[in-house]
Amino acid sequence: MTKEMREHKIETPKEKQNRHKAMEAKTVLQKIKHEFKEPPKAMDYFYNLYESVHCRHEPLHNDKIKVGTMCIQVPAEIVYALDAVPIRLCNGFYTDDEIGSDFLPSKACPLVKATVGQFASDNFSDKPDIVISPTTCDQKAKSGAIIEEMGYKLFDMEFPRTKESEESREYWRRSVRKFTKELSTDLGKKITRKKLKEAIKKVGYAQHLYHKLNVLRKNIATPILGVDMFLVTNAFFFDKIDNWIEAVDALVQECEQRVEDEFSAAHKRSPRIVYTGSPPIFPNLKVPLLIELSDAIIVADETCSSNRMFNDMVSVDEWFVNDMIDSVADRYLKGCTCPIFTKNEDRKRRIIDLVKDYKADGVVYQAFAGCQVYEMEQRSVLDAMEKEGIPIIYLESDYSPSHMGQLTTRIEAFVESLKNRRRKR
Amino acid sequence: MQYFAGIDIGSTAIKVALVDENKQLVGHRISASGSMFYKYAKQSLKDMLNELNIDEKDLVYTVSTGYGRKLFKEADENISEITANAVGARAAAQDKCEIKTIINIGGQDSKAISLDSEGNVVNFAMNDRCAAGTGKFLDVVAMNLELEVDELGDYHFRSKGTPLAINSTCAVFAESEIIGLLGNDNSVEDIVAGVHYSIAKRIIKLVKRVGIKENIYFDGGPALNGGLVHAIENELGMKIFIPDFPQITTSYGAAILAHESYTYENEVD
Repeated sequence: MTKEMREHKIETPKEKQNRHKAMEAKTVLQKIKHEFKEPPKAMDYFYNLYESVHCRHEPLHNDKIKVGTMCIQVPAEIVYALDAVPIRLCNGFYTDDEIGSDFLPSKACPLVKATVGQFASDNFSDKPDIVISPTTCDQKAKSGAIIEEMGYKLFDMEFPRTKESEESREYWRRSVRKFTKELSTDLGKKITRKKLKEAIKKVGYAQHLYHKLNVLRKNIATPILGVDMFLVTNAFFFDKIDNWIEAVDALVQECEQRVEDEFSAAHKRSPRIVYTGSPPIFPNLKVPLLIELSDAIIVADETCSSNRMFNDMVSVDEWFVNDMIDSVADRYLKGCTCPIFTKNEDRKRRIIDLVKDYKADGVVYQAFAGCQVYEMEQRSVLDAMEKEGIPIIYLESDYSPSHMGQLTTRIEAFVESLKNRRRKR
Repeated sequence: MQYFAGIDIGSTAIKVALVDENKQLVGHRISASGSMFYKYAKQSLKDMLNELNIDEKDLVYTVSTGYGRKLFKEADENISEITANAVGARAAAQDKCEIKTIINIGGQDSKAISLDSEGNVVNFAMNDRCAAGTGKFLDVVAMNLELEVDELGDYHFRSKGTPLAINSTCAVFAESEIIGLLGNDNSVEDIVAGVHYSIAKRIIKLVKRVGIKENIYFDGGPALNGGLVHAIENELGMKIFIPDFPQITTSYGAAILAHESYTYENEVD
């Protein structure tokens, strides 16, 4: 061994954490890029974005005030209207999950553990100036307090547990008004009619582009893989919105061309899957990857890390500031199919609609071990699918990269059963 | 002058070490285990004595250790490689630092040993299942990448990108993962670094089971691989002690134990 080899510097804990995360990210990108048919050219933007942010840890929003959000329910329109950028901190890294385990019960959800782990290590390429924690699920609500104790500035945003009642709607509207006022005071920015309207239009346009891309997946020759779609939607968590819009626009055009050429991202006979359950967040795309590596294709999803972000647009009656804020609030409550609600007919209805509209053969329902609400809602969703004659498989998993064998076998067997079912029809 | 020998018959190599009356290392020899452990071990010991011009009669006590220790019938005593490794490591580092933890990566296993301040073994852990994370694994990797094992260190330090993680815990599956990575135009350097970090992570889990206490000693053939040392140090977040001859620590320990046993027996007489 040369002397030079012995005299290297040892990594700092941060360098080590970054290397671990880069290795995780790289592994997943590798698989997505190389294990399937050629991805659309426009996906290169996203692959490079992930390499930059998650492998090289380069900051994206140096000059901006960053509002960290702990959940999908924080209205992005309001944050943009106040000249800040929302960055969703829901985390998919196993490295951070392991760090977070020291702060939370061992049976806690890996997503929450990973999020807390990142705060604990204080290692962000874009560190949030303020953190917004909606009181959606118990674990997120409670971890908000843990994060605050670590010294971060945190705002609890109250969220109701039912959505059908007039009271809950009013309660949430008041919560969003309060949030707007406090964030505006905190950032020293006034919310104006012009700015809010612009923000609503911009986020609305991003949603519109996503829809355009999404409906292309209804074609039997589906132009894009589910894992690529997850990368696109996950990038909305942290990307500069204008760049994201431009990149998705290009992707839509390319996919439209693919549809015209009847180019399919999977095989012709690949079973079509609707994914639902705990949100796959990069790099924890384990289950979507296993599904597509087993020769099925995800044609639609019902999760908060993807489809749900884009579901309903803000619909405004009067373009006055207060009306706009209420309309923004409504879009976040009414369209939400999160299992935290007492009952959730909307979610079941949406899954069934997706199966029909996207001509899916079956549903994969994943719950993170420790994600109680998804675990609890499993039975009622399974029953509803059974009534409709829709095949569904329920999987429990975590962020650990090993022990994939059992998951793979279950997914492969499910995909094969869907293939058999088709043959018999 | 009287001499004492330690013979470590491992799965991959036979290591022989010789100490004198002052417990000073006077010679050592490493040869392949091959298929006939007993014959090769005997030959290796004989060759070493010839080389050093030492009469076989002056060799007064021999201790055998390692997987094949029971096969070496001429030994006066046989002792487990855990004890021998502990004694050898403490002795090899005695002028420089006090060793509390030992990492040993052998041909087909890996171990972590925890010592108290007197050098007694208080706890140890071994890989339970398979060859991933052992010397054999590095052999297989080198073969897949068309490299020599001793080139791995250089390649590791030339890695510029993100090391590529190997997630399989099985050497056979890991091999196919590596072939997959090669097919995707990845640089050999990044793959090598990834392999080292995967082994390092696995080893750290083992060390954590016995407790990480400084100073940490690393021996076995893979300790010659600077890249692996670098990866283990980064994963641990601390420097580790690498002896001058990492492969012979255990046989050196056995030779010292031979000296001690001989002295003890003659005192009793």
